[in-house]
Amino acid sequence: MTKHWLIGGLAGVSALAGLAFVRAQDAQTRANAESPAAYAAGQPIAFPHNIHAGSEPGQSNMDCQYCHFSAERSVDAGLPPSELCMGCHQVIPGANNPQEVDKLKDYHARGESIPWVRIYKISDHAHFPHMRHIAAGLQCQQCHGEVQTMEVLSSRDPAWGGNNMGWCISCHRQEGASDDCAVCHY
Amino acid sequence: MTDGIKRRDFLKVLGVSGAGATLTACSTENVERLLPYVTMSEDIIPGVSTWYTTVCDGCAAQCGMWVRTREGRVVKVEGNPNHPVSQGALCSRGHATLQHLYNPDRYPGPMIREGDVLRQTTWEEAEALLAQRIQSAAGNALFIGGATGPSMARLVDAFVRAVGGRRVQYDALSDAPLREATRIAFGVDELPRYEISQARLLVSFGDDFLETGASPVEHGRAFARMSAADEHGSKGRFVFAGPRLSLTGLNADEWIPIRAGAEAALALGMAAAIAEDGAAAGPYASVVRAYDVRTAANAAGVSEDTVRQLAERFAEGPSLALGPGVGAHHRNATAANVAALILNFVAGNVGRTLHVGGGPNVATRPFSEMEAAIRSMAGGQVGVVMVHGANPAYSLPPSSGFAEAFGSVGFKVSFASAPDETSAMADLILPDRHFLEAWGDSMPRSGVMAIRQPAMQPVPHFDSKQTGDVVLSVASRLGHSLGGATFYEHLRGAHRAMHGSDPAFEAAWREALRSGVSGHDMGGASGPAQLRGPDAALTFDLPELDGDGDLTLLVHPSARFGAGEFANSPWMQELPDPVSKVMWHSWLEMNPRTAEARGIREGDVVTVESPHGSLEVPIRIYPGIREDSVALALGGGHTDFGRWANGNGVNAVTLLPAVSEQPSGAFVTVATTVTVTPTGQRRRTVTNEGSSDQHDRPIAPAVALAELGREPAGEEEAHGELKELQGVGGFVPVPAEGGEPTAFPLEGSRHGNYANAHEARARWGMAIDLDKCTGCSACVTACQAENNIPWVGEQQALMGREMQWMRIERYYEHVDAAEASHLDVRFLPMLCQHCSNAPCEPVCPVFATYHTPEGVNVQIYNRCVGTRYCANNCPYKVRTYNWYRYTDENVPEPMNWQWNPDVTVRTNGIMEKCSFCMQRIREAENRAVVERREDRIPRDGEIVPACQQSCPAEAIVFGNLRDPNSRVSQVVRNERTYRVLDEIINTQPAVNYLKKVTFHEVASGGHD
Amino acid sequence: MAGGTPIERGALTHPDVERLSDVNRDVLRALGRPGLGWWALFALAAAGVGLFFGSWGWQLYRGIGVSGLMSPVGWGVYITTFVFWVGIAHSGTLISAILFLFRAPWRQSIYRAAEAMTVFAVMTAGLFPLIHVGRVWHAYWLVPYPNSRFLWPNFKSPLVWDVFAVTTYFTVSAVFFFLGTIPDVAAARDAAKGLRKKLYSVISLGWRGTDQQWHHFGKAYIFLAALATPLVLSVHSVVSWDFAMGIVPGWHATIFAPYFVAGAIFSGVAMVITLTVPMRKIFGLEAYLTTKHFDAMAKLCLLTSLIVLYAYLSEFFMAWYSGEEIERTAFWNRLFGTYWWASWTMLTCNGLVPILLWFKRVRHSIPALFVISIFINIGMWFERYVIVVTSLHHEYEPWAWGVYRPSIVEMGILIGSFCWFGFWFLLFTRLLPPIAIQELKEVLPPPLRKQRQEVHS
Repeated sequence: MTKHWLIGGLAGVSALAGLAFVRAQDAQTRANAESPAAYAAGQPIAFPHNIHAGSEPGQSNMDCQYCHFSAERSVDAGLPPSELCMGCHQVIPGANNPQEVDKLKDYHARGESIPWVRIYKISDHAHFPHMRHIAAGLQCQQCHGEVQTMEVLSSRDPAWGGNNMGWCISCHRQEGASDDCAVCHY
Repeated sequence: MTDGIKRRDFLKVLGVSGAGATLTACSTENVERLLPYVTMSEDIIPGVSTWYTTVCDGCAAQCGMWVRTREGRVVKVEGNPNHPVSQGALCSRGHATLQHLYNPDRYPGPMIREGDVLRQTTWEEAEALLAQRIQSAAGNALFIGGATGPSMARLVDAFVRAVGGRRVQYDALSDAPLREATRIAFGVDELPRYEISQARLLVSFGDDFLETGASPVEHGRAFARMSAADEHGSKGRFVFAGPRLSLTGLNADEWIPIRAGAEAALALGMAAAIAEDGAAAGPYASVVRAYDVRTAANAAGVSEDTVRQLAERFAEGPSLALGPGVGAHHRNATAANVAALILNFVAGNVGRTLHVGGGPNVATRPFSEMEAAIRSMAGGQVGVVMVHGANPAYSLPPSSGFAEAFGSVGFKVSFASAPDETSAMADLILPDRHFLEAWGDSMPRSGVMAIRQPAMQPVPHFDSKQTGDVVLSVASRLGHSLGGATFYEHLRGAHRAMHGSDPAFEAAWREALRSGVSGHDMGGASGPAQLRGPDAALTFDLPELDGDGDLTLLVHPSARFGAGEFANSPWMQELPDPVSKVMWHSWLEMNPRTAEARGIREGDVVTVESPHGSLEVPIRIYPGIREDSVALALGGGHTDFGRWANGNGVNAVTLLPAVSEQPSGAFVTVATTVTVTPTGQRRRTVTNEGSSDQHDRPIAPAVALAELGREPAGEEEAHGELKELQGVGGFVPVPAEGGEPTAFPLEGSRHGNYANAHEARARWGMAIDLDKCTGCSACVTACQAENNIPWVGEQQALMGREMQWMRIERYYEHVDAAEASHLDVRFLPMLCQHCSNAPCEPVCPVFATYHTPEGVNVQIYNRCVGTRYCANNCPYKVRTYNWYRYTDENVPEPMNWQWNPDVTVRTNGIMEKCSFCMQRIREAENRAVVERREDRIPRDGEIVPACQQSCPAEAIVFGNLRDPNSRVSQVVRNERTYRVLDEIINTQPAVNYLKKVTFHEVASGGHD
Repeated sequence: MAGGTPIERGALTHPDVERLSDVNRDVLRALGRPGLGWWALFALAAAGVGLFFGSWGWQLYRGIGVSGLMSPVGWGVYITTFVFWVGIAHSGTLISAILFLFRAPWRQSIYRAAEAMTVFAVMTAGLFPLIHVGRVWHAYWLVPYPNSRFLWPNFKSPLVWDVFAVTTYFTVSAVFFFLGTIPDVAAARDAAKGLRKKLYSVISLGWRGTDQQWHHFGKAYIFLAALATPLVLSVHSVVSWDFAMGIVPGWHATIFAPYFVAGAIFSGVAMVITLTVPMRKIFGLEAYLTTKHFDAMAKLCLLTSLIVLYAYLSEFFMAWYSGEEIERTAFWNRLFGTYWWASWTMLTCNGLVPILLWFKRVRHSIPALFVISIFINIGMWFERYVIVVTSLHHEYEPWAWGVYRPSIVEMGILIGSFCWFGFWFLLFTRLLPPIAIQELKEVLPPPLRKQRQEVHS
């Protein structure tokens, strides 16, 4: 009798392995977005989003689009040029970590781009137009999470579905947006 | 600094978005870096294209360009609609200039030759060396330059005057005979201006104005307007007289296959028939009298009736005759051009369709100037020779002695930005900027001025410097001030001088940069000029040919490579030649009867031997060439021109003598006879042509002009009812060809993939007028540039794996080189037909291809598994497949900078095809959202696919078929409208074609 | 006549076999120490398997471009070979299931080998769609499974039908095969020692040969036979629809399903002959595989050959009779175009050569049958090649016509697939009784009758 169990078990295990492979493939892209390398990689400057965008006392309560200026107009949200940072930090030395502001000044003085590590990335074969989502009334936080409360950004925030198409399509279906493939893939 | 330059200073850092770089980013090790701008222009919005105007430098026609940049890099060039020459279109070569910008073979910086190797150096050292050598040459400097803008030409002239020496302009292709003929006949030292669109009968005596003439885009548009049937059922007629049908020739309605060099005889014979006593020909009356119809017919090898009838029709006017162009320069080319001008004069065309002067300001410098320069170099009279914008070591025959003479000069300088045969011999290389990185100006014809402005910071891989800047810097080292520290200042200074007050200049300058053109088109109507007596000896007889071979060799410029400048562009190498449809290698065109008589088959490698050299080249059987001639295109056989050009094909000038035609001094391309002997070897022709016969299938039908308007409506449905299975409803009739093309979903297709269309949406569709299409293939390259389509290389193309989403099919219906007769060649741009009843869709197992609610058949690359079932089931065979990682393996850095960030870059194992430029549709929709428009459907004309944008002939129209007022709906509401194969297989395509209109009755392949 | 012992022509029973225990001994002898011939073949097959996976690996590494496929011929040797192996797979189940249900007595000696062939042929065939797709790592998308993207396969696509057809067929034929072997494996278990014994013990699932077990076995067997029977017809019908559902001239025909099924049985039976002839020789099974068996198989070949030939002619007739120029051109091109040699090979091997089987002398000559069966195998491979390649290379759009030339890698995989199949078949002959012992015993004379017939050859 044990042999029967052995055979049944083997079959079950291989079926499970197959399913696991399939699911793993499915979620592979999500894993990429959360790869430890990306997560652990230090940003060149410890930029605290909460200090800039948070509304707690001592936080600046800036609008996201003050820095990510093209989100409303373009497919890309835009990264602030260091000139924009310097607009404030010319006079604001940085209360908590002045050494980080100094790094910014150094980069700016050298005329060098700040090599930010990318946190939010969707696949190159998917096109995400920021402006249409903003026009549809979405808040930045709906995808990017409560960025204004985060000192360190993480793509592991539960709000961010990263490369997981299911995350996109669920929202599209819920909101009655198009679920035509060619809306994003072309 | 001025506004103009500051704007571009901001582009310190390139590329915010990495989108489109690779399809799959599987590695978890790569940390992607985002690089923002340090400071940023207000013009630049990441993710939104910035457009600059400039002027194309691809050939001497100088078409206006719009340059599309994204995040500081140029990704596409298009025609500038404001520009009076190109009027918004661009040719294939114009698109390919982009590949010169990102050519990985460009010199990494200034180079000094040390023995056999080149050492990279600094600009400081290089310029110091040049200054020192010029100084020690003591007034013996020679500057060999190609065609440049007027400011650059003036600067170089000032420079050589200052340092002592002279400038020789050398152009591999030049219209000197036409210019000289105009000077002789009318006393105006300029090219004439043709108003092709006004003519009702156009006769070209070997002028290939559609591909390599003075201004192919401008003339292409005018020709299409002239020759296409208009709504009144009227259509201009085009007759081509020449020994070989070029692309221009293939567009003719009639072909008079005259002997090479007999253009003058035929033109004069026609003139004689028109002006019986010759009196109308004024000072040329005796010449005309000497060439009666019989003499002309005998010389040209055609019947007298042909000449007489043509002359009669020509006299009816308005007509226009074009004299031999660069592909037909024989030893009497000037005389032949004079003959064509006489013919125009006696027919009353001067002042009507032909204006004396004000024509394209293209290269017309005679080769004889270069001959003199070679003599002085060989004579040791030159201390320093500088070469800019020319490659004489390649484009001159060995017998010219250029290489030896050039080699004997003590110090040789090249300004070539990428290696060429001339710079390979240079001692100092000072790489010039590409025109998209540089300032300049252009004067495409008198009165029209356009500024070249840099559209991007120089490609950082290459430490290049604009030659104008080098000249100014070297001059100042030698103590000469030529006005302005930089070429930019010099240029502005020159233009400021043309204006009065400063404020007016600033405004004019900005406007010139914005619109891409300044100055007015002053080449308007001129009064009828009078013929003058010849001041030089002219021979109108058949030209002498060297050697005693039995076949006349016709050497002609290539529609893809020009004289060879574009040979290192893989787009051009893989673009099927518009005539022969051969890719990558060279071929010798031979008439099928000649080949049969000699036992030569397609692909046989033959030795072509002239008194001046010999070459081995495979045979291409071509019905469009006379039996006594063979033809070879220029542009192949490079030895030092970069990875894609070297060793590809043969250099036709090897077979030519270095003679200059008298009196114009032009280089002669039809100069020699050859013998052709098979080597016994064979080589498979790399072509995309499966069969040039449509086998009577309804693919590219035509309709006779006389039949237009006679066809009773509804007759098209005569093929009977088609039925389709409708769920449980059984078989119901479906309208096929007779259905309204604007209906979508079509009757009978209310199920499955097509059922989800709802009324508020657009239905995208296209109309292509085959009566306008000239087969020039500009759309093919435009599409390749827009849609990140890789090239596959010669071996892969040989296997039939080329990837262009569009191809121009060329079907022969009637081509007869034996006698003058009507000509029927059908060009058909074939692209995804976006069938409403698409055979590809149901067979895809994973829904990678399906129909969008807007009627576009799309391909979702990332869903594709690669079963290739869709391609098998596609009756049009327009799906292409990534057999390898072409986009990685074939595209070296920085060629990949050209990728369009809005289009996914496809990789191995994925099917792809025309998407109707989906990215442009989305862009227009996004724009509607940003602008908060009520109606989210983009407006008519807002979406222009790359092919339509580029088409010089205006043959392609894209738009919303559901909107009855859209242009495309109006165009398809035409009795000529048909859909390819639809009547047989009921695919219901969204691409509608308009039948070609012929003057003769359509005998076979009609399906009309 | 092959074999040392004279056997009466056409004898159904096995006159050489005297005792039931002989059967065990003779058949199980194959499981003993193999001869040099077996090892040579095995080494060859193993090398071929290396070639197979080496070629495939190279293709995965470089891209599908290492094949000769191109536009317009997107399917070539791979799909040809896929259809070929699916076809081969048919006769096994036909012989074991349909002939079982019809109680055809001559099946006993061959059905084990035929079933094994079926399983291995489907195993081989199943690899080809994977070899053929451009992105095999995404091939699982053809399988319907719930996923977060809400994406499903396109159930309209014949390729999805293929997935179901082939996996179902493989599952059922594999179960059928293993079920049938249980009593024999038990016999082998009783004779074996060591590791083999352990293996057989597992596979035989505790078979004791009790009445109750025989009873259940019989029920299960007939049930599976009934289940497998429609599959014989369905699988190749579905495979044929890969073509018939396309609009390619030369593919789009309603005759395809029966035509393919007949062709499959034709090629399958031929392959059984090809395999059993050497097996009989190597393992000395002449007494069990008699001319009677071969004669029956040859007749089946002859019948299916006629059906296939009829289908060919009917295709040509329909192309002509339809009046569709494109269809006519396609069939004209089939006979006289670039690939004329493939079509004529097909017609010769599948239509003309089997005519010899009308003659009893030929049917009874095992060498002749062997040669004819090889011709049929070649012809049937070319039949698929003709359908796939010839149809695709000249389709609707004359400008896009092109010529496909198979590459070395494709040839490596084609040859490798035979070796891969042979590899498993050789292992089978060594590990499982190649002839159904218990069914053979059923047709033998009762053990008490000890007479021996004197026979002259």
